[in-house]
Amino acid sequence: MSPRLRLAVLGVALLALVPGAAATIAHLPDFGATIAAYGERINAIAPGERHVANMVSAINFDLRGLDTLGEEFMLLAAITGTVVLLRGRRGETLTDRAMRLPGRAILPRSEAVQLTCRLAGPLLMMFGLYVVLHATVTPGGGFQGGVILASGTLLAYLGEGYGGWRDMVRSHWLDAMEGGGAVLFTVCGLAPMLTGAAFMQNVLPLGTFRDVFSGGLMLVENAGVALAVCGGFTQLFLEFLEETREADGPEEPGEDSA
Amino acid sequence: MTWLPYAVAAWLFAIGLYGLASSRNLIHLVGCLSVCQSATYVLLLGLGYRYGSIAPIFYDHPPGTPAVDPVMQALVLTDIVVGATLSALLLVLTVQAYKRSGTLDPEHLKPMSRGGDKAAPATSAKHPAR
Repeated sequence: MSPRLRLAVLGVALLALVPGAAATIAHLPDFGATIAAYGERINAIAPGERHVANMVSAINFDLRGLDTLGEEFMLLAAITGTVVLLRGRRGETLTDRAMRLPGRAILPRSEAVQLTCRLAGPLLMMFGLYVVLHATVTPGGGFQGGVILASGTLLAYLGEGYGGWRDMVRSHWLDAMEGGGAVLFTVCGLAPMLTGAAFMQNVLPLGTFRDVFSGGLMLVENAGVALAVCGGFTQLFLEFLEETREADGPEEPGEDSA
Repeated sequence: MTWLPYAVAAWLFAIGLYGLASSRNLIHLVGCLSVCQSATYVLLLGLGYRYGSIAPIFYDHPPGTPAVDPVMQALVLTDIVVGATLSALLLVLTVQAYKRSGTLDPEHLKPMSRGGDKAAPATSAKHPAR
């Protein structure tokens, strides 16, 4: 199909959709006037029933925990796919050659960059841990904190170079974090069933409202998500950086014929 | 103007679709998909918003204060995380498609023929420039 014909088909399709979209938008509730009854009920009930202050975490890890479990495995599947597709020619030697164009001089990191990264890296990791730990109290949680932690490891790459970064970040640890986080979340779902409760029922003591250790089982699930997200995103960085350097050995046989 | 956020969402989705249909570069294609996806963020957050409400975190404000819809925020949160990993997966497929066929133009990808388009530069097929 020629590009022009394809755009014409798209234009016709969009024109056909415009009346439906306009009618739908006209019948949606006015912006800012009201919210759905489900969210309203959660806001009213969850602080008392679950002793948590952060409603988003309450939904993710308790009320709709099953959905988050499914999403956790989507994350696992996407990262597994990335790793499987890229890992063919990865070397395990820790050379300082990623992100280099062939023939370009390798300049050492300037001291200012090193100092800034050494100062900011630990602070960023600490902030990530803070965001993870306060999931049930203040804005944050395993997803956000995990991404911040993963970004913290990238500062080590920026400051110490690729060799130093690979020295610090071991890919089998990342595999274990990624898979272990998903397993931890699943166990959180299954373990309550041993006591006769329902799947993912919050059987642990709920703690006091506005306390860091409030929410019971949510804290464990949150830790699992943080592990999986941190491990998964660092694994993504590692695989993409690894892709930028020359292969150590010859290409795998059969690479072109598969 | 109460319909404006929803119209913005529809426009974002349409402009993303236009990019998907007219794209000549696989990396650009992944970016267009992200634009389509951000339409869902705007739509969900717009649906969950209410004037004069706080964020659904009852730490500084006592429970019972009118708050925006937490369900939409949870949906957007998971949407963003999965969207990021999915972009990574698609970019990896792009890398592999480039290695295999030596081109990033979806027009020149021939799914059924080995080695991609014969018209593509043959030198870059095996050792693509980095």
